[in-house]
Amino acid sequence: MTTTGPTSTTPLVELHEVRKHYRVRSGLSRRPVIVQAVNGVDLAIDAGEILGLVGESGCGKSTLSRTLVQLETLDAGEIRFKGESIDVARTDDLRRHIQIVFQDPYSSLPAHMSVRQIIAEPLLIHRLLRGAELDQKVDDLLVNVGLGPDFAARKPGQLSGGQRQRVGIARALALDPDLLIADEAVSALDVSVQAQILNLLRRLKRDLGLTMLFVSHDIGVVRYISDRIAVMYLGEIVELASAADVYETPAHPYTRALMDAVPSIEHRGRPRIEVRGDPPDPKDPPSGCRFHPRCPMAQDVCRTEKPALREWWPGRQVACHFADECLAKSGAALGGSDRVPDGVHS
Amino acid sequence: MTGAANVTMNSTPLPGRTPRVASSMWRRRTAVVGLLGLAFIVMVAIAASWIAPHPPGQTDLSNVLAPPVWAGGDAANLLGTDGLGRDVLSRVIYGARSSVLISASAMLIGGTLGLITGLIAGFFGGIVDTVIMRLGDIQLALPFILIAIVILGMLPERRPHHLILVLGVPAWIVYARVVRSRVLTERESDYVQAATTLGASGFRRIFRYILPQVWGVLPAIALVDLSNLVVMESTLSFLGFGLSAPDVSWGQILADGRGSMAMAPWLSIIPGLAIMFTVLSINLAVESPGLETRRRLWRLPSRRATRPAGDTHPSMKPAGSAALEQPEDVLLSVRDLAVDFQAHRDSPAVHAVRGVDLDVRRGQIVGIVGESGSGKSVTAYAISRLLAPTARIARGSVHFDGTELTEMPERRMRRIRGRRIGMIFQNPTGSLNPVLTVGFQMVEAIRSNRPMGRKQARALAADALRDVGFGNPEDVLRRHPFRLSGGQNQRVMIAMTMVVEPELLLADEPTTALDVTTQAQVLDQLRRVRDEHGVSVVIISHDIGLIGEIADEVVVMYAGRVCESGPAEQVLLDPQHPYTKALLSSVPTPEVIAAGNLEGIPGDLPDASAIIPGCPFAARCPAVMDVCHIAVPALLPVPAGQTVACHLYTTEAEVLQR
Repeated sequence: MTTTGPTSTTPLVELHEVRKHYRVRSGLSRRPVIVQAVNGVDLAIDAGEILGLVGESGCGKSTLSRTLVQLETLDAGEIRFKGESIDVARTDDLRRHIQIVFQDPYSSLPAHMSVRQIIAEPLLIHRLLRGAELDQKVDDLLVNVGLGPDFAARKPGQLSGGQRQRVGIARALALDPDLLIADEAVSALDVSVQAQILNLLRRLKRDLGLTMLFVSHDIGVVRYISDRIAVMYLGEIVELASAADVYETPAHPYTRALMDAVPSIEHRGRPRIEVRGDPPDPKDPPSGCRFHPRCPMAQDVCRTEKPALREWWPGRQVACHFADECLAKSGAALGGSDRVPDGVHS
Repeated sequence: MTGAANVTMNSTPLPGRTPRVASSMWRRRTAVVGLLGLAFIVMVAIAASWIAPHPPGQTDLSNVLAPPVWAGGDAANLLGTDGLGRDVLSRVIYGARSSVLISASAMLIGGTLGLITGLIAGFFGGIVDTVIMRLGDIQLALPFILIAIVILGMLPERRPHHLILVLGVPAWIVYARVVRSRVLTERESDYVQAATTLGASGFRRIFRYILPQVWGVLPAIALVDLSNLVVMESTLSFLGFGLSAPDVSWGQILADGRGSMAMAPWLSIIPGLAIMFTVLSINLAVESPGLETRRRLWRLPSRRATRPAGDTHPSMKPAGSAALEQPEDVLLSVRDLAVDFQAHRDSPAVHAVRGVDLDVRRGQIVGIVGESGSGKSVTAYAISRLLAPTARIARGSVHFDGTELTEMPERRMRRIRGRRIGMIFQNPTGSLNPVLTVGFQMVEAIRSNRPMGRKQARALAADALRDVGFGNPEDVLRRHPFRLSGGQNQRVMIAMTMVVEPELLLADEPTTALDVTTQAQVLDQLRRVRDEHGVSVVIISHDIGLIGEIADEVVVMYAGRVCESGPAEQVLLDPQHPYTKALLSSVPTPEVIAAGNLEGIPGDLPDASAIIPGCPFAARCPAVMDVCHIAVPALLPVPAGQTVACHLYTTEAEVLQR
């Protein structure tokens, strides 16, 4: 599989100052408005890890993953793959190495093709296999995603949502990609099926050494599958750390609010972290820290000065002027300070 | 009068419903007539040289303008002869050949050109699209018939291929427009994007992915175009720009008869009837069900359906339901409710709800939780009688404050809906009118339920908006729904529903389209509405966490049945039914993550159209026993405190009851 991976020091994929702005015309006004979908993202995905990307709708997480499979072009910034800068001219070559699984298992498969045809497509397009070898490979892939060769003759219309998503995964794995992007790949599924697909992805990571970018709005799902988590808000990354750190002791107020808003029976009657209003319009983002109008911890400095994403603690990047205070609150909420990393007050 | 109910044996006619089931049957029948008519014309055209009694151009000047046989003519010329003594029947038969050949070929040329240009314009977009579509616009602006006359008039002799080209080429734009708009939508769809990420070339994406999806629209357009071409060909011939002799088409015969219309009216009437018959057949054939995009059976419940009177199956009631008593403060009581969907008389019925028991007390929040296909939403739509026309309440009762809703006339039901039972749907923007301001819609809603002046209603609306957390309600009232975010619209919907002060609020996935931070605010509002107004709420969601946070009582549904119900803490923290347990261990909550692996539930939902003799969860249940496959477990109280429909507890519970 990914035996020819990069050396341990070079990440598989690096994003530098990646920017994607859309020009949209809204209503009857003649002048196009700029939507800052992705606004200067730095991110590195190490070989063999599952990086979770979490955020609410409109935060730019899908746009970011679509730029990686070149469904969107960059406005600024650079994407490096195995240390080399990605060039538009090499698009087709790169497509063999980065594959994506889409959110909607119904619309992402062509309804008129059989499962065998769908999974064989990438191998035929790149002229890798044919005849009996191709059939064998498709059968193997079907077994690998837990379906089995009996499914090859069926059409997508004869499959359930979970089975369709398995076909989508088999199709993405056909080219033995180095990086698999799962863009809300389990969001449209029922929880019992979602759990099956999450476990399948975990097994594939273990068996095939897959590197994965797992994009979702559901922080519980992201926590379950990821090694590290990046939290996005309005086109920017606000926190990046190990999955356990982000989930258990969030150091950005937005991450805290996101965690706290997840409904659960334990939350009954408990006051929430106060986050007022709706996410601001990405056409007109706030000054300073983009979260300040909704942030319960906002100070004057947040309104004027934009906090950079910097490494507050080893392996833990936060874009907040008061990350240490926020982390202390999270630790206290957890019922003890033992989980707070050393050097909080450094 | 027919309706959704006519799928049953003993249906009762109910006024005011769309006869869609019957209409689809009717459409199929008319389409068959149309297709038979078309087949007849094509056969005549093919067999012309064998069945025509005379050659079409054979003149007989001794027998000109002979009348048809019913007007005293002789049997040698059944439909009489024309001014040159040619046999009209033979000419009509040969005319079918020319008319069909010219129209069908023109249609194929136009269709092919249109398909290609439409694909190119839609797929490449940009300047290519602009040039192609503007050319089409220019062509449409030109008077087609005049240009055709100029072109045809310049030709010394007009042969079929001339007419085919003149008629066929300009038809491209009709196809191109439709194909282009379909390609534009398909191009952006996930499966084409997926093909792009696989590295598929543009050519491959067009022909292997998009074309098979676009195909489907063509036959219907082609048939409409064909009938148009038949008329167009006849018009040109009638004006004297049709085929030159000796070729003959219907329009040609019509033109020949023009001069002797007073003396021999049949010369114009007979080809006219042939043209009419052809056009009619084509238009009937367009009705073929295969030519329309298939409607989904389940989606968009929008219209009401009642249960046909006397159509109950008391024998199928689970044993336990009769035992449940109704305390005083129960506002809504549902017993053994079952709902079937059936699109056609001959298609299998989908059993969406297979017998649900549910009680809602005053001021209580009841959460119904289940996965897709559990029947949770259909239950809510059945309670408010807003089921799709293909659905019917098969059995069971819905008691609302002492009144039976399933048999209530629609007019009375309408008064209860909105005033006493409020509904909130998943998609708030779809429930609000985008072109009217929030204020206008709220005032209308208030005044249609409570007699009061406009000013007073507006003040009430402003108060309601303040109640759901809007700081500046006057500003919101002036806005249109599209200027508000999804969360704001959902809160407007809640305010609008609440201002009428219903006793029961049915909320179907009210926060599913919203982000978690917005969802939290909407949940707070729902809770306040209950606390301050004592409203009963039925909230339906797939999100167990959400139900756990807001509901007092939880009902867990699977495959159209209730598996477990009871107080929220009891059901969700100490579940007894194997499905509830499996469901809870499938959600990645902090506790589940700490415990290790997500369990998931192997397998899939049972077929919704199957009759399940036993427990619907049996096929996926880790604790399955023999009895589970043969007997439906009754919903009975268990020692832990909730009611459970599971054979693991049946004997124990039965002992308890005695």
